[in-house]
Amino acid sequence: MTTWIAIAGVSVSTFLLRASFIVFVDPHRFPHGFRQALKFVPPAVLAAIVAPGLMLAEGRLDLSLANPRLLAGLVAIAVTLRVRNAFAAIATGMATLWALQWAIGRFA
Amino acid sequence: MVLGTVPFGFVAGVAAVAAGMTAAQGIALSVFSFSGIAQLVASQLIAVHSPVLVTIAAAFVVSLRLLMYSAAIAPQLAHLDWRWRAGLSFLMTDQSFASAMQRYGAPGDPANRHWHFLGAASTLYGTWQVAVAIGAVAGARIPAEWSLDFAVVLTFIALLVPAVRTRADLAAAIVAAAIALAAAGLPYRLALVAATIGGIAVGLGIEAGRRRGAL
Repeated sequence: MTTWIAIAGVSVSTFLLRASFIVFVDPHRFPHGFRQALKFVPPAVLAAIVAPGLMLAEGRLDLSLANPRLLAGLVAIAVTLRVRNAFAAIATGMATLWALQWAIGRFA
Repeated sequence: MVLGTVPFGFVAGVAAVAAGMTAAQGIALSVFSFSGIAQLVASQLIAVHSPVLVTIAAAFVVSLRLLMYSAAIAPQLAHLDWRWRAGLSFLMTDQSFASAMQRYGAPGDPANRHWHFLGAASTLYGTWQVAVAIGAVAGARIPAEWSLDFAVVLTFIALLVPAVRTRADLAAAIVAAAIALAAAGLPYRLALVAATIGGIAVGLGIEAGRRRGAL
């Protein structure tokens, strides 16, 4: 039940954000300072999700080369810098992770 | 445009089921919220049993960019009646916003361009829902050794890299990443909110400093 409430709440908030100025408020009343701040939401939010996914292993910081997720993530970043394609990032990142996991299982 | 949507949607469907939602809940979340980032963040929070309000607040914060899109495109849609405006709002995503803005910026008569917006946005909507549904149904059968949860992180990398365009963006990203790591022990992923606010503050500070230097 709580999951359904969360689903409803998330859906209502994404709709209200989208409809805000298109349906409800005159866009000329959008404060300039707020617009400046919103520009930084995507890089900040996304980096805050990506960094722990790459650098935390079981809750502890792991910046070593033995951390397969960090290496696979760096490969995906390099690929995305060259080709702007989500599919390429997912494919190369997963392939690197699987190869490293296999190598660690085999040789460690 | 549609090509990147399919794996992203599949991953969002898998993530919903991996978070403990039923396939029906994962699909409902997608059908009604239609936002990959909001769906993935909501899934992450539901997975760690966050309170409902924290889940909604986090999804709200990560979706704030939609306010920007709404303000930017509103003047182009002002001549339409409220049903059109509500419908196009509901369907607006990063991609359909970008393609609609491109079209409205092109020369020619803009009067019927909302039909293009509707066409592009509903194509994406349909593709997305099919991809999410496949992920939600197949996700439960994929063994954990495949580490498919990592595909979520990779999807975010594919979104992060093009979002970093200026030095201020880069600083915002690095500071947000550092805060997210340092505060990772906080409950309910509050680190995400702290990191976002810290990143925004640093980005604004750098931009203000640069502007002052240019004067």
